[in-house]
Amino acid sequence: MAKKKRTRADVEKEEKASQKENDVHLPTTISSDEPLPKIKKWINKERVLVFSSRGVSYRARHLMKDLRTLMPHSKAESKMDKKDQLFVVNEICEMKNCNKCIFFEAKKRKDLYMWIANAPRGPSAKFLVENVHTMLELKMTGNCLKGSRPLLSFDKNFDTEPHWNLLKELFIQIFSTPNYHPKSQPFYDNVYTFSIHDNRIWFRNYQILEEDGSLAEIGPRFVLNPIRMFSGSFGGPTLYQNPTYVSPNEYRRSLKQKVAMKYINKLNAKQSRKDRYLPDSYKMDPTDEVFVTIRPEDAKGADKNTFYRVT
Amino acid sequence: MSDLDSSDSESVDSDTQLQQDFSSGKLKPGLNVALPASIEKHYINDVAGMKCKLEELKSNLDWIERLDTTSDPAPAQPGTDIQGGDDIHNDFRREMLFYRQAQATVLTAIPKLHKMGIKTKRPEDYFAQMAKTDDHMKRVRERLLHKQLSIEKSEKAKKLRELRKYGKKVQQEVLLKRQKDKKEMMEAVKKYRKGQKNKLDFLDDLDKPASKQQGGKQKDKKEFRSNKKREYKNKKFGFGGQKKRGKQNTSDSARDMSDFNPRVNQKRPGQKVKKTTQNRPGKSRRQNIKNRKR
Repeated sequence: MAKKKRTRADVEKEEKASQKENDVHLPTTISSDEPLPKIKKWINKERVLVFSSRGVSYRARHLMKDLRTLMPHSKAESKMDKKDQLFVVNEICEMKNCNKCIFFEAKKRKDLYMWIANAPRGPSAKFLVENVHTMLELKMTGNCLKGSRPLLSFDKNFDTEPHWNLLKELFIQIFSTPNYHPKSQPFYDNVYTFSIHDNRIWFRNYQILEEDGSLAEIGPRFVLNPIRMFSGSFGGPTLYQNPTYVSPNEYRRSLKQKVAMKYINKLNAKQSRKDRYLPDSYKMDPTDEVFVTIRPEDAKGADKNTFYRVT
Repeated sequence: MSDLDSSDSESVDSDTQLQQDFSSGKLKPGLNVALPASIEKHYINDVAGMKCKLEELKSNLDWIERLDTTSDPAPAQPGTDIQGGDDIHNDFRREMLFYRQAQATVLTAIPKLHKMGIKTKRPEDYFAQMAKTDDHMKRVRERLLHKQLSIEKSEKAKKLRELRKYGKKVQQEVLLKRQKDKKEMMEAVKKYRKGQKNKLDFLDDLDKPASKQQGGKQKDKKEFRSNKKREYKNKKFGFGGQKKRGKQNTSDSARDMSDFNPRVNQKRPGQKVKKTTQNRPGKSRRQNIKNRKR
């Protein structure tokens, strides 16, 4: 659709209209019974679609559930078929009225990838999810109100490089619960921490026990290893590619190769030993020794049987 | 099939061509150079694009809508901070870093909220659904208790073990002491005896060498003493003689009526054994008494 260019006349018209709006015409009489105009408090209409592809492991499913319980502004969707193209997610987001998306993609029933995207216009990022611990684990002792608004804590490293910067903005918009969201609670009792170590983003969720800074972990915890960032949502030109990323397939292959190398090394060692130690150090002519005889007194060992004096 | 044939003919063609090339000198060993295995992979890092996207993405909402803070980890508690080593691969230290970062955030963000006049703490009587269910929290508490109990138990066991070890040591010392005392006592007795003997010797005869000789002989006699242990063993297991038919019935053993008690063995069925009220002593005893009377 080609946009019509605004002419000067149009602009003038609009200005007039706005002036009209600005001029407040108060009614001559105001009854005190009249209800006050409602102040709109819930401005931020962020909605996040949290869902996964088919074939996710139980752990990933629990993680997804945890995110849904923690984020009152999230929406659920049934699992997506693997065969569908990824850009279908955009349409699903549109149908669900969501402008942000967290999509868990499982591969090989063991590798979990996470997409986060700003739905229609991008950007989006793909991560490998490692070290998942869910909220169900008993060693996490904290607890918080369902739907209380979290404080977001970011590492200083997020300001160092442009890709971290962009990711930070995405995280803020996705994980921060909108103020006055109807499902949210008006108290602050948990903190999400995002920190960068080892080129990965480590996520933790803590309960604020006391406001002097004593915390207890609630969970979930996971590590996001960035793979790629795209300018579109679930596609489009690549903005960033992680040079240190090793795909789990490659990693497993390297592990296997290490084991294989052990066997190959053993074979090589055997061969080299064979090559180094020749069967005889010097080629001798066996006929040279035909006429060599020893006195029976000098014979030693097995020679004693060969050289003996006939009496 | 046709596919196979065609591929075969192709390969033959290429072979012949290769042969021709080789004969004409075009093909030489060493001409085919393998490509370097690791071609420098180009990684995209579109800084301008990212900055543009960031500008596009940014929304001008107030901080209260976002609640984000960027902070360094809070200063560590004294005692928990251990210098040196790798932070990432040490679980405890890594978690401590995250914890401190969250702490720093709390310490900056909560006062900020207070300044804006927003209550952060939930009143005591405010009940609402929690992220974790009560059932789950109960399990968590149980686990904590169980852990604490097990730690206490193990500590107790450790202490007991220590005590036992100590007790053993004490007992050993006591035993050693007792042995030592005994030895000392025996030595004293020996000395005393020797002293007595010397005295006796001195009293009996002045001939010292003779007495010495006698003493030596006595010593020899003393040394020839039957071994008590051996004796007991001989008694138990037997010494010398035939052991083979020791348990067989013989005419003597068949005639042996020593175990026979007519009062017990010759009673009628149902008859009770009468206990004699008069205790009449046995025959040998009676005879003894008779002799004494005489």
